[in-house]
Amino acid sequence: MRRAAAAALALLLASGGAAGDSLVAEGERLFAYCYACHSLVPGEANLPGPNLAGIVGGPVAAQEDFRYSPAMLRFAQSEGRWTEPLLDLFLADPEAAVAGTWMSAPSLAPEERAALIAYLRASTGVQ
Amino acid sequence: MHRPVLAAVLATAFASPSAAAETQVFELPDGARPHDVAPAPDGLVWYTAQRQGALGILDPATGAVRHVPLGEGSAPHGVIQGPDGAAWITDSGLNAIVRYDPASEAVDVWPLPEQTGYANLNTSAFDGAGTLWFTGQNGIYGQLVPATGKMEVYAAPEGRGPYGIAATPAGEVYFVSLAGSYLARIDQESGKAQVIEPPTPDQGARRVWSDSAGRLWISEWNSGQLSRYDPASGAWAAWKLPGDGPKAYAVYVDERDIVWVSDFGSNAVFAFDPASERFTRYPMSEEGANVRQILGRAGEVWLPESATDRLMVIRTATP
Repeated sequence: MRRAAAAALALLLASGGAAGDSLVAEGERLFAYCYACHSLVPGEANLPGPNLAGIVGGPVAAQEDFRYSPAMLRFAQSEGRWTEPLLDLFLADPEAAVAGTWMSAPSLAPEERAALIAYLRASTGVQ
Repeated sequence: MHRPVLAAVLATAFASPSAAAETQVFELPDGARPHDVAPAPDGLVWYTAQRQGALGILDPATGAVRHVPLGEGSAPHGVIQGPDGAAWITDSGLNAIVRYDPASEAVDVWPLPEQTGYANLNTSAFDGAGTLWFTGQNGIYGQLVPATGKMEVYAAPEGRGPYGIAATPAGEVYFVSLAGSYLARIDQESGKAQVIEPPTPDQGARRVWSDSAGRLWISEWNSGQLSRYDPASGAWAAWKLPGDGPKAYAVYVDERDIVWVSDFGSNAVFAFDPASERFTRYPMSEEGANVRQILGRAGEVWLPESATDRLMVIRTATP
């Protein structure tokens, strides 16, 4: 199922145009992997992971009332902001990209990461 | 492919209420990201290779490791040994319960009902009647009767959060909710979950285990506490882990009723002796090791280090 979804996404990416909406829709489906720990609702901060509203392009490890791992705080010092390439690198294997981060995640194909990032970008400020 | 045993080192306990123990570290394939671990028959050890969609099998006698693929899209989270001697896996990638039979090497899959949606399956436990109960972090818990394949899924109180689950020696089943910050007892007849609120608000109950008397021990992620609930009396007790800013992740109670709890804050595992109320600290093999679950058998406590791709075992001294 995952291989078929990745192939479909690759086609959508190649065709451009209305593909963006489909990409975001696929990213919304994939956000189910993140939902248990993260919220996109601004201000919702009682979850195990930090709030992700405005994460794309936003500062790394910047939620004031959230306890980040020392590794993520060091990463924030060196990287500054979550650019899309940096998010892609992190989602590819969080514990490899930021050694010692407390987050774990299932493996995502490159096309799936692109969709998830598109959804995160589109969902900034979702109420 | 496997790499040989990394090291066999002397125990590192301090302020110890008991004799020293011996630790040993085993290297796993790069990128396996072992999430959970379970002792297996014949002295072997299973682990979930979460990012490689496989059940890992370690032979501690030789250090040999092999992976059993669980299917395309697999991302196994939890693994336990069932009463049938098989590995029972909560596979968040497949959205299914998976059974691996060590004798035939057959892999059987029970997908969640389609209407459940993506559950983010987490952990499972067998009750006294042989029914498998499981949690899904996106807000469900459920049961599977292996003999018939009948599966039922229930919406969890307060939605997302169900994480660790455990059975008592009497066969009763409890789970905890990380996002919901509660302990719940499952009525195995009705399937209903009765919430039991811990006294510490927003404590982030992540995992739960039972001692030999049926008392529930809980690792509290947000509060950094190890807490205990006694179903017989309804009494709660809690102990803050040592150090600055502890983050309690996994908990397990061994055959001596020593309570083991992993702490991300200090990159260590603590053995807590309820009699003396003292903690003994065991550092992990490397900084930021991330021990997300603990399980053992008599004389052995197994610790998966998801960040380092290693398994550590603490061989406990005879009390």
